[in-house]
Amino acid sequence: MDILQHLAAGFGIALSPTNLAIAAIGALIGTVVGLLPGLGPINGVAILMPLAFAMKLPPETSLILLAAVYIGCEYGGRISSILLNVPGDAGAIMTAIDGYPMARRGLGGVALSISAWSSFVGSLIATVGIVLFAPLLASWALSFGPAEYFALMCFAFACIAGLMGDAPLKAGIAAVLGLALSCVGLDANSGVYRFTGGDVHLSDGIQFVVVVIGVFSISEVLLMLEQHHSSTGLITNTGRMLFNLKELAHTWWGTVRSSIVGFVVGVLPGAGATIASAMTYSMEKRLTDKEGTFGQGDIRGVAAPEAANNSAATGSFVPMLTLGVPGSGTTAVMVGALALYNITPGPALFTQQPALVWGLIASLFVANVILLVINIPMVGMFTKVLQVPNGVLVPGILAVSAVGVYAVHATTFDLLLMTLLGLVAWLLRKQGVPMAPLLLGFVLGDMMEQNLRRALSITNGEVSILIESPISKGLWIGTTAMLLVPPLLRSLSRRRAAPPVAA
Amino acid sequence: MSDRILGAACLATAAGMAWAAQGYAAAISYEPVGPRAFPLLLAALLATGGLWLALKPTLRGATPYRGVPLRATALVAVSVGLYALLFEWLGFALATAAMAVPLGLVFGSSLRASIATGAGLGLALYFLFDKALDVVLPTGLLSFVLGGR
Repeated sequence: MDILQHLAAGFGIALSPTNLAIAAIGALIGTVVGLLPGLGPINGVAILMPLAFAMKLPPETSLILLAAVYIGCEYGGRISSILLNVPGDAGAIMTAIDGYPMARRGLGGVALSISAWSSFVGSLIATVGIVLFAPLLASWALSFGPAEYFALMCFAFACIAGLMGDAPLKAGIAAVLGLALSCVGLDANSGVYRFTGGDVHLSDGIQFVVVVIGVFSISEVLLMLEQHHSSTGLITNTGRMLFNLKELAHTWWGTVRSSIVGFVVGVLPGAGATIASAMTYSMEKRLTDKEGTFGQGDIRGVAAPEAANNSAATGSFVPMLTLGVPGSGTTAVMVGALALYNITPGPALFTQQPALVWGLIASLFVANVILLVINIPMVGMFTKVLQVPNGVLVPGILAVSAVGVYAVHATTFDLLLMTLLGLVAWLLRKQGVPMAPLLLGFVLGDMMEQNLRRALSITNGEVSILIESPISKGLWIGTTAMLLVPPLLRSLSRRRAAPPVAA
Repeated sequence: MSDRILGAACLATAAGMAWAAQGYAAAISYEPVGPRAFPLLLAALLATGGLWLALKPTLRGATPYRGVPLRATALVAVSVGLYALLFEWLGFALATAAMAVPLGLVFGSSLRASIATGAGLGLALYFLFDKALDVVLPTGLLSFVLGGR
């Protein structure tokens, strides 16, 4: 009952004219950012976050904007996957496998509309999941002390290292580098300046925006120099624009299954939309592909991963809102956005800022309806965006990124630091070091250090407090498992005949 | 080979961090863990990771830099650096126009198209952000036309 009241109040906020307009604008921007290959939700949210702050939007409004962009990206990514065979963002990689063959058979419109629909179902199920589980998790997390928090953050890093890609060591290094970057500046407890090199610009730390834009946008531009996909493969003849009831029924259970799996994966810190869509695609293939049509344009292979990537993206709000520990790079950026407003997400957010939390949750419902509406009939307009040449697009991205960085402190120093971080990040990414853990480390660094120090001051330096309570014990066991099990599984499956993985 | 270099770079960074963190001590301490512990812990972790990578490189003999167009990459890096450096002095509109020309060329536009893109982007984004959205941007050399500083 309580939840329904909160939700009603949330809808009151989400449906205010300003927030409704902002959600629509965010949905539109998100779809465009998502469909452009090379620009993903992290870039979109990172570029918009400082702008929203500079435009003096209230916190709930700017969070609604960022959330709409995030979800919009997950919708938009499928468009280029289906029509161009180039995933618009990482979560849409699996969609291309069956989506592009469908489009080549003249069923592009059907693929686009069914994937928009399954994206909608995925997000909807995950948003209901947030409504049901987030308050429970938040009230449970209220009992967390500093030791539990420290263990929880270690668990988050273990998840991201264990689940992300093939180089857990490099993910770990990235996380440590992020944590180190967060140490720069004044240490509030002691008044000591750390790693500033005596530079006054660094005395209150490195701006979050500078790190995100440098690490994601600048390095992305340098990486784009190596990819030469043109819009020549673009399929413009999309045929029938809407799926029929038979196709709807054919994909329905796969969509629901994938949505639920996607939500669970999304809630886990570290595992995001990319893993969820890959998991559900192979799950659906195993469960339903009796004729061997997956990979040749099976509509179920389009619906399942799209449902999953949307529900995972939505699900990743849960750890961010309830624990203050973001589960993905994009939600890490949102934590940074809240930090600009001096709001620290965590279990207390539900009681202290109910308007913010429930307004956001309600606006997820609203944004999804908007996205469904703009993504089925207006898809033709979005495909025009794919024809914008890179020679216009890249300077545009850079200019908007620079505006975002400059907007926060208005110094040349921040812009130069952005360039430097971008170059270093480019080198690291070339080397196979993932950047999402670095971002997570940067966001969590301060919280992690503070909780460690607080825990140790309780016992006057006795380290045993870190593993005393059953919750921390469980989290440490989870941490160890996350670090050990995925590499073991991977080497096991490598020993078996390597199954062909469609790239 | 290159993973060994990354490992060595991590080790060097860790050493630098540890050296810098040496002197971080609070004048008066209220808590058992001071400002030095966490950076030193991170330096130790980074050193371990770097050492591991240097001894057991995962990218063995791989050449991730083979596909890199060196001149284009250098041109983009220098353009972005200059853009950052001259952003305030030239002003947003001019700096953006100047940055868009080399970038447009590198990303396959013609010279004329790049200049048009730059001019268009510089002015359009300036008016969008500064005038319409209230995000203050420097006007630099154009301040006699656009006002501001």
